[in-house]
Amino acid sequence: MSGSNGRDGSLLVVVQRYGDVSGGAEAHARQLVDHLAPHLRVEVATTTAADYWTWENVFPAGDTVVGGVPVHRFAVARGRARDFRNRERVAFAPLRTLADERAFVDAQGPHSPELLEFVHARRDDYDGFLFFTYIYEPTAYGVPLVPQRAVLVPTAHDEPAISLSVYRALFHAPRAIAFNTEEERAMVWRRFRNERVPSEIMGVGVELPEGISADRFRRRHGLEGPFFLYVGRVVESKGAGELFDFWARWRDERAPGGGPGPRATLVVAGHAEMPVPKRDDVRYVGRISHEEKFDAYAACEALVIPSPLESLSLVTLEAWAMGKPNVCPARSRILAGMTRRAGGGLSYRSFAEFAEILTLLLERPELRDSLGAHGRDFVARTYTWPRIVASYRDLFAEVRARNAT
Amino acid sequence: MRILVVVQRYGAEVVGGAESHARTLAQRLGRRHEVEIATTNALDYWTWAEHFPPGESADDGILVRRFRVRSGRRKDYKEIESRVLLGPHSLADEWEWLRAQGPHAPDLLEFLHREGQRYHAIVFYTYIYEPTALGLPIIPERALLVSTAHDEAPLRLAPYRALFQLPRAIAFLTPEERDLVHGQFRNEHIPSDVIGLPLEPAPLGDAERFRAVHGVRGPIVVYLGQVTEAKGCDELLALWSSRDRGETLVLCGQVRMPIPERADVRALGEVSEETKRDALAAADLIVQPSHLESLGIVLLEAWQQATPALVNAASPVTAGQVARAAGGLAYGDLASFEAALAQLLAEGRSPGERGRDWVRAEYAPERFDRRVEDLVSVAAVMR
Repeated sequence: MSGSNGRDGSLLVVVQRYGDVSGGAEAHARQLVDHLAPHLRVEVATTTAADYWTWENVFPAGDTVVGGVPVHRFAVARGRARDFRNRERVAFAPLRTLADERAFVDAQGPHSPELLEFVHARRDDYDGFLFFTYIYEPTAYGVPLVPQRAVLVPTAHDEPAISLSVYRALFHAPRAIAFNTEEERAMVWRRFRNERVPSEIMGVGVELPEGISADRFRRRHGLEGPFFLYVGRVVESKGAGELFDFWARWRDERAPGGGPGPRATLVVAGHAEMPVPKRDDVRYVGRISHEEKFDAYAACEALVIPSPLESLSLVTLEAWAMGKPNVCPARSRILAGMTRRAGGGLSYRSFAEFAEILTLLLERPELRDSLGAHGRDFVARTYTWPRIVASYRDLFAEVRARNAT
Repeated sequence: MRILVVVQRYGAEVVGGAESHARTLAQRLGRRHEVEIATTNALDYWTWAEHFPPGESADDGILVRRFRVRSGRRKDYKEIESRVLLGPHSLADEWEWLRAQGPHAPDLLEFLHREGQRYHAIVFYTYIYEPTALGLPIIPERALLVSTAHDEAPLRLAPYRALFQLPRAIAFLTPEERDLVHGQFRNEHIPSDVIGLPLEPAPLGDAERFRAVHGVRGPIVVYLGQVTEAKGCDELLALWSSRDRGETLVLCGQVRMPIPERADVRALGEVSEETKRDALAAADLIVQPSHLESLGIVLLEAWQQATPALVNAASPVTAGQVARAAGGLAYGDLASFEAALAQLLAEGRSPGERGRDWVRAEYAPERFDRRVEDLVSVAAVMR
């Protein structure tokens, strides 16, 4: 049902950072807001932070507009505590107390009491509230302020923090939960037994830019021959270290007869927060634009996603949309489960399997193409904006109807 | 099943409707299940002063774990309350109000955090106090909430907004409580039932003995309960003083306000259970002037003696009970009071007999047990 202005009611999106910031969940929030804005009166409530680690105040506090959408920014009263690692260790220990858990949430930041006061004060002014990322304070303490109108996008990983008592109510309180994948939903249901809370698989849509060119990418970086692609922050926590290690072993040791493995290059794109190995068969191209990313997908053999904890791998969906398979660790349960379900790639449990898979993908183009085609079909079925926007509109129409007097 | 009952106070000597209900429920569940209690060591609901020794003890064969009250009701509670309920205030003030109300028992919450998953189901009593407001969110997936909610301002405060969305099941004491909670929280999707309370058949009172002992002649209207303004007795006495029709108003209960000196008003003070039953048997009807009754147990006791009831229409619960039982009438102003009184005196005991039959059916202990058992089964996590 549409209002007189042609929009289906009002929506406040609450997310820890918003605007020109990095981060998967934040990019997800931004894209979703941009796609919902034509249909709902969308506003955003967020902090003044740009950096997810320090939460340092960067943007000015107050009201602003991002991409045509009103954004309310609230100051971070406390960013990440100096002793955060210590708090985290205590809170993840088996004998943790409730007080330890609360201290962890507090030490993690961003602590923005004004943001919570805003949600509380405006609780009747929006028909719906959409909260991103279970782990941070704005969501963890914000959802319980407006449970009857709240939809949660948890972006949950199977990580230590999710077992804390302090998050338990969060998964039972909202009117609905928008999961990124079937695997995420199964994990959350197993852990919280909150099947009663209505939920849907939402995620994000994948849109291909105009004029994609594999050659352009090869020319710009002087790449010849087959290559595997890594895209994302180059950090230990995303599995980059293990990838470099496996890559070197595969290339140096695994050829038949003991010589070097099949000729191929590992192209690494993204902000490097750790050293990238200096080798002839590893090419670091730095951060690349959204458009150039698609040139890279078009040119690569396959995407390698070594991260052990992925909720929704956007780059995997993008690679699949380009008909390219992915390679991921089996212990990354959500991504590996989605990969298996889509039939869009292969997962490895060990170095031996990693080496086997890479060799296979190089030597059997028909397998590579068939996996990529399955991935493309999977994305077309599930992760398209028209479907996602329609589902969110239905969801918020239902939330509004439920609260109508 | 292993079942834990969480309630702010517990024990035979604790006075309070919700607390008595909790103890009755725990004892009845204890016949079929392994039941334990988690509570504070307070006896008084206002100060929450530490009274019982903390730690484990047994009450009527049930293991009671008492956790220390680390802070009771704050000295400036009334100030915080009036700010939060009446004036402009912040979200933080609402949370401060909860702490200031007491009982603050962090060890009880830590116990739920540490040991809660050892129980198949956890029954939380009384939405308003910290053990439930902060305890249930720690372990929502196996929680049965007995909210005992009234139409009062705190129900709208932030600490309770998520609480009513969280439990696996909710037990209400009356249909009016259910309607109130559903209207406020739109949580109709959570399985719930009206459990009421279990009433064993009561011995019949002796009307002649009462008249003889207290020397009362003519029609009798009985009031049972504390004689205070809070219970509407000031309004009742004002109504009564403006009329003179020959009936005697007999007040049974502790007197905490001035009583007019009139021949047709008798204040007996606190009475024994036996005298109470005798008074009800002798009464032509019972009057219940309170605006805010959560269960109206006095009505149920009156109906057990087949005594008709005259209740204040402003109290949704008692007016609803009277309508459901067809066991009396509700009044608004003096004129309707007079008319209803006259009608009930004319009808004799038949409204009271309908009330008696209704109580027998609706408050049968087996029925209570079955409803509680069903709700606990819904809430329980068995794997």
